[in-house]
Amino acid sequence: MVVATEPAVRIKGLTKRFGMKTAVDGVSFEIAPGEVFGLIGPNGAGKTTTFSLLAGYLKPSEGTVEVLGHPPTAVDALRARLGVLPQDALLPASDTVGEFLVHMARLQDIPKSKAEGAARDALDEVNGREWWSQRCGSLSHGMAKRVALAQAFLGDPEVVLLDEPTAGLDPRVAWEVRRIILARKGRLAIVISSHNLQELEEVCDAAAILDRGKLVAHASMAELTASNEEVHVKVAPGTRAGAKPGQVQVQAIRELPHVKTAHLDEDALELVVSFKKGETDAEAVIGQVLQLLLTHQVRISGVAKGQALETKVMALT
Amino acid sequence: MSPFSEVELITRRELRRTFRSAKGGILAGLSVAGGTGVSMLIAWLDRLQAEKVPVELQAQARDQFFQGLYGDTGHAIAASPYPLWMMLEGALWLAPLLVALMNFDAVSGELSHRSVRFWTVRVRRSSYILGKYLAGWLSVLAVLLTMNVIVWGVTLVVGHFDAGAVFTWGPRYFLVLLPVTAAWCGIATLVGAQFKTPMLSLLAIFAAFFGLWFLRVVAGFSNIDALAYAYPNFYDSYLLSTNAVQLTAGIGATLGIALVATAAGTVLFQRRDI
Repeated sequence: MVVATEPAVRIKGLTKRFGMKTAVDGVSFEIAPGEVFGLIGPNGAGKTTTFSLLAGYLKPSEGTVEVLGHPPTAVDALRARLGVLPQDALLPASDTVGEFLVHMARLQDIPKSKAEGAARDALDEVNGREWWSQRCGSLSHGMAKRVALAQAFLGDPEVVLLDEPTAGLDPRVAWEVRRIILARKGRLAIVISSHNLQELEEVCDAAAILDRGKLVAHASMAELTASNEEVHVKVAPGTRAGAKPGQVQVQAIRELPHVKTAHLDEDALELVVSFKKGETDAEAVIGQVLQLLLTHQVRISGVAKGQALETKVMALT
Repeated sequence: MSPFSEVELITRRELRRTFRSAKGGILAGLSVAGGTGVSMLIAWLDRLQAEKVPVELQAQARDQFFQGLYGDTGHAIAASPYPLWMMLEGALWLAPLLVALMNFDAVSGELSHRSVRFWTVRVRRSSYILGKYLAGWLSVLAVLLTMNVIVWGVTLVVGHFDAGAVFTWGPRYFLVLLPVTAAWCGIATLVGAQFKTPMLSLLAIFAAFFGLWFLRVVAGFSNIDALAYAYPNFYDSYLLSTNAVQLTAGIGATLGIALVATAAGTVLFQRRDI
């Protein structure tokens, strides 16, 4: 369990210009130790640039970036404490997987006698034990991605930056990658830059949404999806608001305890119920609402806490 | 971890990569085969000449020739095995080409594939550049040393020189190559690290080397020696000199070029986005 109080990452007034183009414009946010944090935004939003600034690949035009209290270029202070999975970096083709990981371990100051063990453990975690003697150049995209992930998690760093960790992976490998990330949740700060909003919603505790270089939202995932103040109930096609059996009694739902508002979108076939945050939780409200709907013979297609992250992102960008 | 350990790890890995690559193998093979062939030819011609031309005449002609080239030092060099001197001259001409071909993609190759990003979160950028520089220099020296050792052997077998002369002059001529190649490698590292495309890096290194050679030629015609000061091969006569001051100046100048170029390459690499 991480007990540090200092933020794992602190970005303040961060700006990056490429000539006349401003890719990142005055972005500020903090990431707590142990938090899984998503960087979200459409193409050209500035998330890869922000990621590259966090990793020290790019120098800020203005503002500051601190990782564990140090600029990301302070290699000696951050050695073995910061791990990075760059999205489009190719593994060195002529090295074997074992040579590459041992070399990376040695550069993290892991003693020679323990470097091979650490490298093998990291490779085991991504289910790549049998690739040890294979040349990096001969690996498939998915295998290479997992080897790159192994080097990012090598030696248990305190902060790991992952750029599109599941891009281009088949569903099974992507699931395994998410499993690896979730297994570390709470132990270290993980920053994920990704287009996959469903994935981010699943694994992240908080996120920053960027659009055209600016920060348009920064909040916990619960706040972004309103999962602690809203429930969404999908109803069967043809369902209308009304008092007859099979119809949604919207007024009755509004009168349920702790419910603030209720509204049936008949086009989207979705009942949206908001409740008083802090007084109750989504699970209790779902129970009450479903009971009432089932009593009135309303056919239900699905239930969700809050709105999809995608809906929020679409609204903001 | 100290910067020295970082440089050592980068250098070791780069050496392994260079000699494992097809490019490294082919270049090493071609250099060694070419050196062997040419030295055999020179040794054979030298022996033929020794048989046809009276020994006194040969000695006199060589003395005049080398004194014209090296001044006072020429007398000593005239007494050295001729094929070994030819080897030195050939290696001095070959060195820039070898340096360019063996080093052009050391940094630019990893910039183009962004592999460099795996390293820069673990090592200081200065250590990365120094490691690449050292590995490049050692690779070139390894090829040149192999070539030299073969030439020493060929000179002994095909030529008419005694082992003492070959193993005294051979290493001495090889030592001249050390600071000269160090300087060429420094320039190649400085120029090559500025480009993300290996082919552009190669062309830029060739252009830089050609520019320095051109200045050397202009210096020769205009008698403005200063124009040739940045051309590492300019110092070969200094490095062969028996005069301690000249020798020190030669070593200082070539290592100075290496130091300034590598330091400039490091500073620029530290400041750049990768």
